[in-house]
Amino acid sequence: MLPKSGVLVHDSNVCAGCGVCEVMCSLYREGLLGPALARSHIVRHPFTAKHGHNICRQCSSPGCYFACPLRDKAICIDETTGTTYIDEDECTGCEICIDACPFDPPRIKINADKNVAFKCDLCKGREGGPICVEYCPFQALKLVSKDERQ
Amino acid sequence: MAKSYGWAGKVLQVDLANEIVNKVPTADYRPEEFIGGVGLNAKIFWELGCPKVDAFDPGNPLIVSVGPLTGTYGPFSRGEVCSISPQCYPDELFSYSGFGGRFPAEMKYAGYDGVVILGKAEKPVYLSIHDEDVEIKDAPDLWGVETFETQKALMADEPEASTLVIGPAGEHLSRIAVILNETKFAAGQGGFGAVMGSKNLKAIAVRGTGVVAVAKPDKVLELTRTIMEENKKVIIARLFFRTPYTAPQETKDIFAERYFRKHYGCYGCPLQCHSIHYIPGIGLSGVSCANWLWAPRFSTDPREVWEANVVSQRLGINTFEVMAGVPLLLALSFEAGILTRREIEEDIGLPTPKWLGGTATNHEFLTVLLQKIANGESPYAEGTAIFSEYFGKRSASGGKLVALYKELYTAHGYAFHHVDNLGSALHWATDTRDPIDSCHDYKNTLAPKEKFQAVMEHFGLPPYDNYQIVDLSKTVYQGAERVTAWVQDNQCLKNSLPVCEFWSQVTSFYNPPEMDLRIFESRLLSAVTGLDMNVDKLAKAGERIWNLRRAIMVKRENRTRENDTLNEPYFRKAITCYMGSAMGLVNGPIDKAKFEALKDRYYELRGWDVKTGWPTRAKLEELGLKDVADELASIGKLP
Repeated sequence: MLPKSGVLVHDSNVCAGCGVCEVMCSLYREGLLGPALARSHIVRHPFTAKHGHNICRQCSSPGCYFACPLRDKAICIDETTGTTYIDEDECTGCEICIDACPFDPPRIKINADKNVAFKCDLCKGREGGPICVEYCPFQALKLVSKDERQ
Repeated sequence: MAKSYGWAGKVLQVDLANEIVNKVPTADYRPEEFIGGVGLNAKIFWELGCPKVDAFDPGNPLIVSVGPLTGTYGPFSRGEVCSISPQCYPDELFSYSGFGGRFPAEMKYAGYDGVVILGKAEKPVYLSIHDEDVEIKDAPDLWGVETFETQKALMADEPEASTLVIGPAGEHLSRIAVILNETKFAAGQGGFGAVMGSKNLKAIAVRGTGVVAVAKPDKVLELTRTIMEENKKVIIARLFFRTPYTAPQETKDIFAERYFRKHYGCYGCPLQCHSIHYIPGIGLSGVSCANWLWAPRFSTDPREVWEANVVSQRLGINTFEVMAGVPLLLALSFEAGILTRREIEEDIGLPTPKWLGGTATNHEFLTVLLQKIANGESPYAEGTAIFSEYFGKRSASGGKLVALYKELYTAHGYAFHHVDNLGSALHWATDTRDPIDSCHDYKNTLAPKEKFQAVMEHFGLPPYDNYQIVDLSKTVYQGAERVTAWVQDNQCLKNSLPVCEFWSQVTSFYNPPEMDLRIFESRLLSAVTGLDMNVDKLAKAGERIWNLRRAIMVKRENRTRENDTLNEPYFRKAITCYMGSAMGLVNGPIDKAKFEALKDRYYELRGWDVKTGWPTRAKLEELGLKDVADELASIGKLP
């Protein structure tokens, strides 16, 4: 049985759609600015103020992981945290994982410059946890631990 | 070419008449010297030759720029619109208006530091920008549609696009028409919505899927922590503007409880200073700060004030003119016996509410007024200045109406807003509009008494112990010129990086020696761009931009020291804010002779000619503006 992972949850009732999570994600993970390379994606609805959020759901049985031709090399599961993550050094950008993602839109995207897939891994290894959670001005993003997760 | 950090790298030029789209390198405009925002806009306008055309002439360029910090975490997703302004009065001047929202960051991610619109389309169009793809598209179905619905229609085609739009007010060339992004973010002052309307340009829709490279990501990341910590001190401001701030606490509590939904604001900014409310029957929209000004004067019901804002936003009308303009002038005229109820109803064609002697509801009054503005039915649509002149000429007591207008409207056709001391008065006099995006500096930023001396010493603004310079109850001339010049340079810098005025004034960044906004700006800009943008260079950039703006005034608008003044009543009586509080020059009228002497000292400090108020060759060359000096010399306007 695969280890369980924590997951990011989004509260659309308080989310201002400000995009801080996107900016901080792209800055921390890619060293540049732009939601296009952010793992967190806000779906803005300025005229209803109910903003949606797309991010990897850390499936308990991740389709991307099982579909990956380089399973446990390119897409791996962290034994301690249970988090599914992509190793950029191993990924070949074949996009099979994107097709395997059960969500629409898929929560894995391609970084065309690097020719690798990328997705949220809850800021694997970052002291203090996901940077988007830390910087969200309204606590609209929360990390639900693997123990709390239903 | 070296890789560009911070700047997106391109300026988009669109000729609507000939349907030509051109992209030029931002580097052509020397961005290290002019930064972005108003600085880049002024440089672009100068290079276009400062056309001496009317605001609605196809030759008037509409320029929208962002800055090197736009798209970063923090209060930086701001754009600046510059153009020849139809709201300026009596002369149309090259002016500016900032706006926030998501559009500025989106434009940057699409790859553009600036967008320049020239010419006039034959029929209604909108500009569609999707990264490299730029298209002028027909928009017959959008013409006449209000702003929210226009954006929704454009988002149906491109759900993630962010749009700048005009409403019916802009289409009908109202001089108080705005350019709007989403519900609340507007380039409000200036009447630039009408400039868009004059070009048959309904909207600019932008989608950016690109990224902006930063030179030192680790350093930027480190500095974001400072921003996050500072932001905690600002959050109180967000709460303050959630409800009408002058209303009784009970009214505020009830309003917030019933209608407040959430906060929102500019892209990437942790403050999110605007508030979203939903009122059944009216809808959902955003408000902040000056949107609440109508409250104390006309209505005890915040819902009426809120409705006035939302209807204005939907029709594309400058809410500040509705808060501080025509209704206030009517009320004061009515109270002074200058206009009768009959004149207002029959000649002006407005239903009169109780405060104008009639029985109409505020809702009825506002609906008719706003619709008439949006429909371009003169003279309300022309703004308060022209409205006053128009009725001033018709009515027997019209002279009094004009005099009253001149009390309410401080200079250049803009309504009173923070004319708090001689420093801000001088700033007003020497600008092209209300310098509201820096007026706060004169009392909020520099005024905390316990730190005043340290602040003034730090910024080199003697006399260091003269707190009265910024004291609202005093009228101090000595030293005010230094404060003015400092704030103006800082304003130019803020509007170019850009840094939000509202955010920065309430942080401890102005409380040296621990922190100084310029030190922070310098660190962040250097980390983002990879250039050594030290504090001195930044200060110089601010001064350079102010001087270039002055050169534009001199070249295009024949500006001389005679034009650097306020409306006449300010030299005759104490003027206070009519909106219910005592802001203003409460200590008495400005002494004309002392004000002229203050101007002398200001020009000297600026390195300008005292007799004409024109920049000198020495000053322009010191700032790297030799080409500007040469041009002014060639037209006989270099002292």
